[in-house]
Amino acid sequence: MSKVLEKYEVVIGLEVHVHLKTASKLFSNAPVVYGAEPNHAVTPVCLALPGSLPVLNAKAVEFAIRAGIATHCEVHPHSVFARKNYFYPDLPKGYQISQYEEPICTGGWLEIELEGKGGPALKRIGITRIHMEEDAGKSIHDEAVAGTGSAVDLNRAGVPLLEIVSEPDLRSAAEASAYLRTLRSILRSVDVSEADMEKGQFRCDANVSLRRRGETAFGTRTETKNLNSFRFVEAAIGIEIERQAKLLDAGQRVIQATLLYDPGTNKTRVMRTKENADDYRYFPDPDLVPLVIDPAEIERVRRELPELPDQKHARFVSEYGLSDYDARLLTTSRALADFFERAAKAHGTPKSVANWMLRDVLQALKERELEIDQTKLEPGALAALLRLVDDARVTAKSARDLVPELIERGGDPAALVRERGLEAVSDTGVIDAAADEVIAANPEMAARYRAGEDKILNALMGQVMKKTGGKASPAAVQQTLARKLRG
Amino acid sequence: MSRITREEVERVAALARLHLGPDEADRMTTQLDAILDYVALLSEIDTTGIAPTSHAVPMATPLREDRPGTPLDPEDAVRNAPAREGTAFLVPKVIEGEES
Amino acid sequence: MTAPVGTLAELRAALEARRVSSRELVDAALARAQALEPKLHAFLGMRAERARAEAEASDARRAKGEVRGPLDGIPVAIKDNLVQRGEPTTCASRILEGFVSPYDATIVTRLQAAGAVIVGRTNLDEFAMGSSTENSAFGPSRNPWDTTRTPGGSSGGSAAAVAAGIVPLALGSDTGGSIRQPAACTGIVGMKPTYGRVSRYGLVAFASSLDQIGPFTRTAADAATALEVLCGHDPFDSTSLPEPVPQFSQALTGDVSGLVIGLPKEYFVAEGVDPAVLASVHAAVAELEKAGAKTREVSLPHTKYGIACYYLIAPAEASSNLARYDGVRYGHRAKDAANLSDLYCRSRSEGFGPEVKRRILLGTYVLSAGYYDAYYRKAQQVRTLLRRDFEEALAGCDVIATPTTPEIAFRLGEKSGDPLRMYLSDVYTVSANLAGVPGVSIPCGFHDGMPIGLQLMGRTLDEATLLRVADTYQRRTDWHARRPPEPA
Repeated sequence: MSKVLEKYEVVIGLEVHVHLKTASKLFSNAPVVYGAEPNHAVTPVCLALPGSLPVLNAKAVEFAIRAGIATHCEVHPHSVFARKNYFYPDLPKGYQISQYEEPICTGGWLEIELEGKGGPALKRIGITRIHMEEDAGKSIHDEAVAGTGSAVDLNRAGVPLLEIVSEPDLRSAAEASAYLRTLRSILRSVDVSEADMEKGQFRCDANVSLRRRGETAFGTRTETKNLNSFRFVEAAIGIEIERQAKLLDAGQRVIQATLLYDPGTNKTRVMRTKENADDYRYFPDPDLVPLVIDPAEIERVRRELPELPDQKHARFVSEYGLSDYDARLLTTSRALADFFERAAKAHGTPKSVANWMLRDVLQALKERELEIDQTKLEPGALAALLRLVDDARVTAKSARDLVPELIERGGDPAALVRERGLEAVSDTGVIDAAADEVIAANPEMAARYRAGEDKILNALMGQVMKKTGGKASPAAVQQTLARKLRG
Repeated sequence: MSRITREEVERVAALARLHLGPDEADRMTTQLDAILDYVALLSEIDTTGIAPTSHAVPMATPLREDRPGTPLDPEDAVRNAPAREGTAFLVPKVIEGEES
Repeated sequence: MTAPVGTLAELRAALEARRVSSRELVDAALARAQALEPKLHAFLGMRAERARAEAEASDARRAKGEVRGPLDGIPVAIKDNLVQRGEPTTCASRILEGFVSPYDATIVTRLQAAGAVIVGRTNLDEFAMGSSTENSAFGPSRNPWDTTRTPGGSSGGSAAAVAAGIVPLALGSDTGGSIRQPAACTGIVGMKPTYGRVSRYGLVAFASSLDQIGPFTRTAADAATALEVLCGHDPFDSTSLPEPVPQFSQALTGDVSGLVIGLPKEYFVAEGVDPAVLASVHAAVAELEKAGAKTREVSLPHTKYGIACYYLIAPAEASSNLARYDGVRYGHRAKDAANLSDLYCRSRSEGFGPEVKRRILLGTYVLSAGYYDAYYRKAQQVRTLLRRDFEEALAGCDVIATPTTPEIAFRLGEKSGDPLRMYLSDVYTVSANLAGVPGVSIPCGFHDGMPIGLQLMGRTLDEATLLRVADTYQRRTDWHARRPPEPA
């Protein structure tokens, strides 16, 4: 891969389809449901019965405006719904109501954080447009259900989507991943979508092309559709980079095509090429009038917008005195940021809470591939744990060991400390005895300390800590040893 | 001068998922040609700077409150189905992706 | 055979005076429909049992003094492109064979709330595409004045049902003249309201930006009554106008003094028009002048582009609206489809008639890549010019008067071999749909024993003025009272 990247620059643009968390569908008042029996959430409009007509959901419009503002787009007071015409069983009208020439938002951006040579750096990724459209239904190919055919379920047909199209500003699979995470975080923080990828609420199409380094013209791109996990996005992009490089190296041309990624085989296959691409015959939907939004309404949404990740980041730096880096890490997800704030409030020293979260909590989460709101750890519990350490009732080390447990099983830290017998040993007698033993067993080290090598104390401390099962307060141990060694 | 060829009629028929027999295709080509010839009349008019009309009677955007209504009884939803499996519509196997 | 039925007003009076019951009226309508069916084929299906039950319910309400309004207990018919829950809707097409709607069109709900009793579904050109009902998959309807001639289209069945005195009120739909032209052919009143006045929810869409539902009646007064029930904002139709509905019956003052009638010179060109038609229309206008109206010549300069404009926009919208007829969820599905593509192509090709196919092909073509700007977008621009024509003309007059059609009802088979020739007969009616303005046709004379129609068009939302002029004319003339000969 690195050879490929020396020769070629990778150009990636992403199209994301996001489910809006409205209660009813975009153009019908059918409920939005997940996991219901087929066609249990449909109205005449969803089924495209003769005579049915679309009526636009006000909340979906508000959500689209929020998403646009949160990504620094221009929100247009005039946009138009257009019909995208093609035939498919999960598309009951034979057309999808979308937006074409006049979408609701254009010209936005977001910033992703990349690991650079000199530390983390920010890169701005352009957003070409955001538009509203309805989702299609589902075809089920399971033989048990549909035999040799396919079964069509229209529960999902008509669910409101935003299509968010990025500029081709991304240059690697890692950047693509970072963009998607950031975008998802933004959309969740303004509460327009749960963006749960497993439920299909955040799907990505990846457009990939290569060009020789130094060239300015774009190469031919392919589109890999419906990627619903970050891993799949990275894998599919990787496959395309290798495949296209191989073709170009051999002097062949990349053919514009739409591909599907199969996670089972980790391969992509061609769905259709440009030659047999459909002519969608877009035209303004005559059953709908243009969407006209009062600029005052756009302003109201802007004012009432929940805090965005980068605003939160700035506030964490100024209000809690956190470093830029720490603040950014804590605001990667709204859930994490909320947790931090509640824990910091309960504890009283935000910097301390931040340290513990960034070190121990995030580590434990990563190991378990969990998000913080999927655990049993409560902000109050973390604060309580930290206070136990502050009061020297438990050593820091013991406390750190408890974090995974609190994450997995929850509970009250004080109770856990008691149950496990983790109370810090502050009994001077025990520490004294242990210190005496260690000094006696290490005469050379003791001599070196007395000769001025202060640092050797750490090794001796380590042994004392071991003897006391890690439960002695390090401060007490250090003081005791130093006192005894100085004699 | 013909405005539409038989090939184009067939291409358009495919787009519209219509099958035309050979005689039918010929007939349609002749008739569509005559119609397109007639509607070419519009090219006489200078429409520079004229905005297209999608809706004859302008009106404000109607919006619907986001309140779910009662969906159809699933039995009613599939009652007219030529083929069904439970409450799902049954069709010949769908190849993943859009139909081409 | 039961006698031809009176006007809506007459029936209402008879019901109020207890001279007749709703049940009797409905039975009479059903009987007459059945008796005239072989000659007229106005209907595609009746709903006798339910109609009788609804009639009895109406009589029971009346007995308790709970009359719902002027339509309570009145037998009516609706064009078979309006859906009713639990009833078939065919749109006169094989592709909707067996389809039974699980929901009611909004106008059906309104009619039922008003107590009207729908006795049956009337014949039309398939999917409302046509001017004669010869495109119906179930055979054409016939003109009660001369059964060798068409009753017009696409709402020919509804027109025939009213003209033949089966029901006093029938609903049609008008996309390019499909209410007004049949009204002219059969000597009755047919009105197309302002676009957006009547909800389209439940009207099977042909061309969404042009379609409107409207009433066929014998008199303008009846039309006013019907419109009060039909018109009104509907939250289920995004093109439904929010403006309040006037009490149209109150507008029928019988007074047109000082009213200015515009006569667009482009509609009175001798070429291509039967001179008898022009003569009748001029006489009608003269009658209105005697009643105190003034006339002036106006111009609708883009009139000659109306057909071209219409036959680009309507098929384009239709090609998209009819994509849902694919054999998947309802309607006709081809047998033993080898695969999905086969299922689509054969179901649609077997289900649609030639005119529908033709318009789908035309519409698909003009929307397709490379042609959109030259055809569809261009037509939309011309549409703007047509709208402006009406705005400018109606700034200087109150109503516009024209012939409804260039000739009397043609004979069945006369034009059906040449689609373009059929299209050209819509020349006087399409502009009102393109501009969105209301229009009404009222009888104003006869030629060769066949009715002639006078068309009045007006400002958007000003149906009241049209009805006032029409009603005033009908107070002074009796064309509307003439009846076709009873069959032997």
